[in-house]
Amino acid sequence: MDPQTVERQIELPAPPGTVWQALTRGEELSAWFGARVELDPRPGGTATFRFSDGRQRDARVEVFDPQRQLLLRWLPFERRVDGATAVPAGHMRFVLEPRGDHTLLAVTETLFSEERVMTSAGPRRGHRYD
Amino acid sequence: MTDKPVDAVFSALSDPTRRSVMRLLSEGDANATEIAEQLPISRQAVTKHLSALSEAGLVTAERDGREKRYHFTPAPFRDAMSWMADVGAGWDSRLNALQNLLQDRT
Repeated sequence: MDPQTVERQIELPAPPGTVWQALTRGEELSAWFGARVELDPRPGGTATFRFSDGRQRDARVEVFDPQRQLLLRWLPFERRVDGATAVPAGHMRFVLEPRGDHTLLAVTETLFSEERVMTSAGPRRGHRYD
Repeated sequence: MTDKPVDAVFSALSDPTRRSVMRLLSEGDANATEIAEQLPISRQAVTKHLSALSEAGLVTAERDGREKRYHFTPAPFRDAMSWMADVGAGWDSRLNALQNLLQDRT
């Protein structure tokens, strides 16, 4: 296991279709994520997470494979009332697997982007945040 | 707490050789030559790894004659572990909420 990665797995009492909606619809995400979430559910779409302590983080939908996999890449800054702070551009990955009429959900959160790790090894395709 | 960002710590620790260097230093202070004697890499390579560890705040250097003597400082390492614990706890609580949400619907 990478030291900069947190992994969790859970069996959810709903089929992948239902879980997928809970992961990709802003109002559903807001009900369990611990933040007010707006998400444009498509590849390249943006997501905004507003936390109750006033912080706001933005992410980009990097992988959108319905009912199978979702990857949200954090943008490298965090907004606060008093301005923005640079933060590492890690990601959250959700992988869904059907288990009868249930779903096995695996979540991985990494602290920083692979690009950053790869920097020392040379250039690699970058992600554009436009 | 220290002001070293935890990603610098993880970045420094992402290399197996640097982890070996840190393990050696956790057993006692040493200079680059002494560390190189115990690892299959050159003194020059050791120096590079030491500077990455030093940047992350995981080692401090003290001049000792012609060589620098390195000392393991674990505080940033503990901060990084606490980041992991926080993020892990955050997911435990979120996934628990998600499970309850879906449970209530069935």
